[in-house]
Amino acid sequence: MADLFHNLYLGFSVILSFENVLLCFVGCFVGTLIGVLPGIGPLATIAILMPITYNTEPVGALIMLAGIYYGSQYGGSTTAILVNMPGESSSIVTALDGHAMARQGKAGKALGIAAIGSFAAGTLATLVIAATAIPLSELALSLTAGNYFALMLLGLSLAIVLAGGSLLKAISMLIIGVVMALVGADQVTGEPRLTFGTDLLYNGFDIAIVSMGLFGIAEIFRNLEAREQQPVIGNVIGNLLPNRQDMRDASGAIARGSVLGALIGIIPGNGATLSTFASYALEKRISRHPERFGKGAIQGVAGPESANNAAAQTTFVPLLTLGLPSTATMALVGGAMTLHGVIPGPQVIAKHPDLFWGVITSMWVGNLMLVIINLPLIGIWVKFLKVPYHLLFPMIVLFCCVGIYSVNARPSDVLQVAVFGVVGYLLSKLRFEAAPLLLGLVLGGMLEDNLHRGLILSHGSVATFVGEPLTLAILTVTVLVLGSALLPAIRRRRAYLAEDE
Amino acid sequence: MIIDPSEQQLSHAVPRYARVDVIGGVLLMMFAFLIWYGAIELEFGTIADIKSGALPKILSVALVLAGIGVFLEGLFQSPESSERLEIAVRPAALIIFSIGVFGFFIRGGKFGLVSTPQFGLLVVGPLTIFIAGCAADRLRLKSLLILAFGLTSALLLIFVDVLSVNIPVYPKAVGDLLNSHLGEYLALRAGYIAYAIAALGLYVILYMLPERNRG
Repeated sequence: MADLFHNLYLGFSVILSFENVLLCFVGCFVGTLIGVLPGIGPLATIAILMPITYNTEPVGALIMLAGIYYGSQYGGSTTAILVNMPGESSSIVTALDGHAMARQGKAGKALGIAAIGSFAAGTLATLVIAATAIPLSELALSLTAGNYFALMLLGLSLAIVLAGGSLLKAISMLIIGVVMALVGADQVTGEPRLTFGTDLLYNGFDIAIVSMGLFGIAEIFRNLEAREQQPVIGNVIGNLLPNRQDMRDASGAIARGSVLGALIGIIPGNGATLSTFASYALEKRISRHPERFGKGAIQGVAGPESANNAAAQTTFVPLLTLGLPSTATMALVGGAMTLHGVIPGPQVIAKHPDLFWGVITSMWVGNLMLVIINLPLIGIWVKFLKVPYHLLFPMIVLFCCVGIYSVNARPSDVLQVAVFGVVGYLLSKLRFEAAPLLLGLVLGGMLEDNLHRGLILSHGSVATFVGEPLTLAILTVTVLVLGSALLPAIRRRRAYLAEDE
Repeated sequence: MIIDPSEQQLSHAVPRYARVDVIGGVLLMMFAFLIWYGAIELEFGTIADIKSGALPKILSVALVLAGIGVFLEGLFQSPESSERLEIAVRPAALIIFSIGVFGFFIRGGKFGLVSTPQFGLLVVGPLTIFIAGCAADRLRLKSLLILAFGLTSALLLIFVDVLSVNIPVYPKAVGDLLNSHLGEYLALRAGYIAYAIAALGLYVILYMLPERNRG
């Protein structure tokens, strides 16, 4: 316990420098700004904005990136409440009661309770991360290569199963992602692999380029197909602060949502979305007035909003302690860490304690900032909601071009973004989720490395490799997870989650 | 007229070759063969010491199997659950074109057989915005023009001036000339300030003056 506070103290000493507070603020601000813009979810936001974090120190870059992440999550809730357009699937549930409240002229209250709930949830999640990080990373350090390989398979299959959509297609995407990770110079020998004799592929695929194309540009193609609609925004925001009665009504929901979200977020998969559904269902079940849900029940906003914020934060746990990103967004964050020379994994805490605890505490500071940024400035966000898409998307295109060019000053990077934009569009038209591809791309190298080392240790005997008790146990769970996805009841539920993040 | 939804779907029955899953499955298989082809030369190694070819080969086999699965699913799915592959070519092509213009002309250089000159962000930026903007359902010339100059100016300020990222600003010859006369920073600032003024001027001319004349 004393350690915990010592570590948090270290973290605060990092975040509370002028530069880092500023970066955290910029991250939250820009994240919220892009998040409220119609048609851009958190994943695309991070993909588009990642290059601007390259010019700072690793700690600052990660603090900013984390800020962008929960800022954009939060922005999504704002649009869900005000105009019934959930920016991402984790705020679909918020839209139900949140928008109902907005139509009754209580938009301010809904936004206020969402902000307060998110802050409470963020506080709990920060503590959960701080408390679980050290034991988990110590556990991770004691794992053998074989264990690790099995654990990665488990994480990936959980991510696929919990994300919804066709299992077979998701696995195909994962395989392609892993193969893409293998393209380029061999990790050990440096011999070119799968480069088809080109220099371009010798450097391998850059995660920033791939994700900007697949998620940033391809999203524009998809949005352009839908007819542009001007969101109708009521002018009456109403009183911003929830009164004492509202707080009393919502506090239970906030507490339950936070705990639920913090727990679900740790499990690989689409934690943020899953936890909102779980929280909404829970609140409706225990409420004395379930008939009010869907018609502006404040608990229906407070619970899911707290849950998704807590989950969004605890999804960092597998990445920071095990090095295993559990969502496409976390894969991007992991990629950004690697670019800054910090390899995500159990060594991070020991090797870069200032970075680790700095980022953790920055989440709490960031949540505080979100409250500050969001409540008084809500009028500005409403204006941003009105930015028409026909002006927005050319801006995104040029911003992406300049952003990706600024990283390496290579024109070929820009052209690659275009190529992956087309690929991403085709994939979505063919109903393939691109998220598993990104997970594969980030984890592919590690997967191969651990398989290789594990097989060396077991002297080439597959039976020994698989037969190691812990490996066997994890692999069994993996098979069960994949098998369970085929059960009809779970199949139906997964259909709800079809859209990733 | 009321259309029964089930009837509507039947009339939209998708021929097998146009189904999303059929095409997707075929593409997966083709991709798997491509991986196999690329991995032919690579050594598999032994189980005890896998070499660089092992994983690509294993995965390409797995991918073929998955591709066959998706293909068969598409072939035998019921007409109601089948989906036609429909692609909006025009907007996608315009946006790809706009990114291509940026990539090819921002710094210029040799791209395989062709080589291109450097146009710099001041030329390429507005072009990219303008071409991309044409991908919208209809052309909004006025707002697009203002955006083209305004955003280019803002990006120069943020990326080149504040974050000091090395991005070519002017076309090569003009840039050399200006840099030697004004110095690099003055030339840069002159460029984006001029564009900001241009955007502002366009706004006044295209939006504010007509308003006033009407009022």
